[in-house]
Amino acid sequence: MSASHVDSTTHLDSARTRPTPASAGYSRADDSAGLVTRARKRPVVLIAAALFVALIVTLIWTSRPEDYTPLSTDNATPSGTRALAQVLRAQGVDVRQIATMADARIESPGTTTLAIAGTEPLAEYQIDALFEYPGDIVVIDPSQSVVDRIAPALSVEPSLDAAPTAADCEDPDAVAAERVRVADEGLAGDAGEDGVLCFPNDYGSHAYAVVDDGDRRVTLIASWPLVTNEHLAEDGNAALALRALGRHESVAWYVGDLFDPSTLTWSAGDDGDGDGDGDGGAGADGAVPPSEIEANPDFLPPGTGSAIYLLALTALVAAWWRARRFGPLVREPLPVVVRASEATRGRARLYRRSRASGRATAALRATAAARMARRLGVPRAAGRTGLVPAVARAAGRDATDVERILYGAPPTDDLTMMSIIHELDTLESEVHRP
Amino acid sequence: MYITGWTVALSALGAVPAMWVQERTFAWVWVLGVIALACLDAALAPKPGSLGLRRSAPRAVRLTESTAVELEVVNLGARRVSGAVRDAWQPSAGATGNRHRIRLAPGEATVCVTPMRPTRRGDRKADVVTVRLAGPLRLAGRQRSIDAPATLRVLPEFASRKHLPSRLARLREIDGQTAVQLKGAGSEFDSLREYVIGDDVRAIDWRASARRAEVLVKTYRPERDRRVMIVLDTARLSAARVADAPRLDASIEAALLLSALASKAGDRVQVSAFDRVERARAMGVSGPAMMPVLADALSTVEPALVEPDWPAVARLVQSRLSQRALVVLMTTLDASAVDGGMLDAVAAIAHTHAVVIASVDDPEVRALERGRDDMHELYAAGAAARGALEQDAVAARVRELGADVLTALPDDLAPAVADRYLDLKASGKL
Repeated sequence: MSASHVDSTTHLDSARTRPTPASAGYSRADDSAGLVTRARKRPVVLIAAALFVALIVTLIWTSRPEDYTPLSTDNATPSGTRALAQVLRAQGVDVRQIATMADARIESPGTTTLAIAGTEPLAEYQIDALFEYPGDIVVIDPSQSVVDRIAPALSVEPSLDAAPTAADCEDPDAVAAERVRVADEGLAGDAGEDGVLCFPNDYGSHAYAVVDDGDRRVTLIASWPLVTNEHLAEDGNAALALRALGRHESVAWYVGDLFDPSTLTWSAGDDGDGDGDGDGGAGADGAVPPSEIEANPDFLPPGTGSAIYLLALTALVAAWWRARRFGPLVREPLPVVVRASEATRGRARLYRRSRASGRATAALRATAAARMARRLGVPRAAGRTGLVPAVARAAGRDATDVERILYGAPPTDDLTMMSIIHELDTLESEVHRP
Repeated sequence: MYITGWTVALSALGAVPAMWVQERTFAWVWVLGVIALACLDAALAPKPGSLGLRRSAPRAVRLTESTAVELEVVNLGARRVSGAVRDAWQPSAGATGNRHRIRLAPGEATVCVTPMRPTRRGDRKADVVTVRLAGPLRLAGRQRSIDAPATLRVLPEFASRKHLPSRLARLREIDGQTAVQLKGAGSEFDSLREYVIGDDVRAIDWRASARRAEVLVKTYRPERDRRVMIVLDTARLSAARVADAPRLDASIEAALLLSALASKAGDRVQVSAFDRVERARAMGVSGPAMMPVLADALSTVEPALVEPDWPAVARLVQSRLSQRALVVLMTTLDASAVDGGMLDAVAAIAHTHAVVIASVDDPEVRALERGRDDMHELYAAGAAARGALEQDAVAARVRELGADVLTALPDDLAPAVADRYLDLKASGKL
């Protein structure tokens, strides 16, 4: 069959189909060279790759980031509260730390204690939302703005006292703990009608306060170091902390975070679902839980985050799509590129470095003399004695002047060299055929 | 395996349900599901082995001219295939638009035409042909690269052929005027014609004039069937770049123009490219067949980074030429040529033949010599002047040996060599 030639100006679209193929003489792909076939031929490589991937996945899965946030339940350093959380878990209490308030999604406020550690970073609206929570609240290290909301007559005072003090109150938890120290901060003033202040020191600061706020109980642990890993084992600290937090079957633990703008979320649950605390009107108050958009005072619609997450994964797919080449790069054997003038430039740099002004000027003089001799028709053999008078005549100059310019003493510095070359150029421009 | 943009689009489409579900796990499940679907699609795609490929390229093309290569694709399998092929060539082959869509029923064939515009002289090689066959869902497919060797020979540009008509006109002029210029010495008698004012009176053929009523002059024409040998130096100095092309390229242009001119003038031309060994040669052909053979021979000549073997050049010339001939050496006049034995070789050749040495000048060095702006440029001017002096000294010694020297800028070398040839022809020194 004859290969029909196609006009070279048309392209791509000019691929035309023909009915009958010739059978022989074609290059064909070797189908046994595919990725799957190659992998099947070398199962060891495949297994090794699978093991490697499994190892990486396991490492990522099991590794947890080191947590150094004070009062965090994942923090094992002296300032953390991991010990407390572990003891509570061992006692059958489900301790769950929430990263943001909106993440809380507490299902049954009646049976969940909300523990807030550090309220200083909380904004007013967050504190407002916080006290709408119908269940029990334990505030560790309360700030003045939180204390004002629950017992306006109380104030948060710094405490330097180091000696343990007795409970000196009616609260059964405090009585069970017997003695604790008022460390770092204490509460002073009046806890109000429903409030009980415990562990007073000599200066009138109290380590601990409990306020019965309607159906729920708000516990203030002003002397916050007593829940930390460092001090939990001292005095009655453990008893006080465990009793305060272990009243219900689960604890939602939140550490105040300046970068969390969200508000608390919980579902109303059925009234009376709790064990006696979460009944009646307070549950009805929280019957309309804040939606995610209310909890996140943000400008983006909900679900934007997960959509962006998916788009980020899509970007990886797109990278695969673009990274896969349509065939390998083709090598071009390139010649060495050396400019012909490189040698001259190199010589110029050598002249300059060794300040060979005499040598450079001599060369320029010689070429200028040769050019002028050619122009004036002076033969090469005539030499200096023949050329000088001829140039002097043509340029209308004194012969000694010409002699000095063309055959004078070689320059010793750059400045002289410059002036000689300038004179040389002027002379050459003056020379014209006689 | 490859994936298409549809896979990415499908993956991105998951953002809509992700807004509702608001779970990261969903994002992972969706993307991994799309990838699994793409893998399934690739597995269902036809095997690349079901395609047969055949390349065909024109034998040769002149540099800067366009051509096209063809790739015949035939579906030898039992399934309908759809996808794309990439007809890969070396970058300097200038293959643009080398990706072609294919859609073939079983047993069907198609021809993909790739336009080419080579940018370098020499043999341009084809690389692999890459085939992509899409799966039924168009999400992914199989990709495979297949060897299908092909070569396209790119001949020298011969840009200097624009000088040919004017030189041929001068050649014809010489044909008619030789009687005036040559005084008959060593020239062939051509014909008698009527005397016109300006003709040399010594050329009047009195005997013929006596037979007829008018005055007749003898005309001569230059000898034909003279030998011309062009030797291209492909050693290290020919590799240096002058105005973005190696010196060798200017030499090749000059060789092509001189060969075209000399073969039109009826002389026998042979060309040899030499450094330490003979790299290419074109000889034994004359007339119209000469130029294609010469272009073909010179197309693959590349500079070699070696020192030229001048005694071997002299031996080569002596062995190829039995009678007096014009030997044109396309080389570089350089101070190092004296140590390399070039002068001895020229002396040996000039003993029996007319020798012209053609050398490429560098416009950049000439510009350096005129630089006066600062001290750096003054030293550069000094260095350039020193180089020019050395070159002049070598040229003077070569002239003493009886050879002719010609230096010109790359673009002017070819016409300069042609003019020198015509001068020699006109003066009957050939």
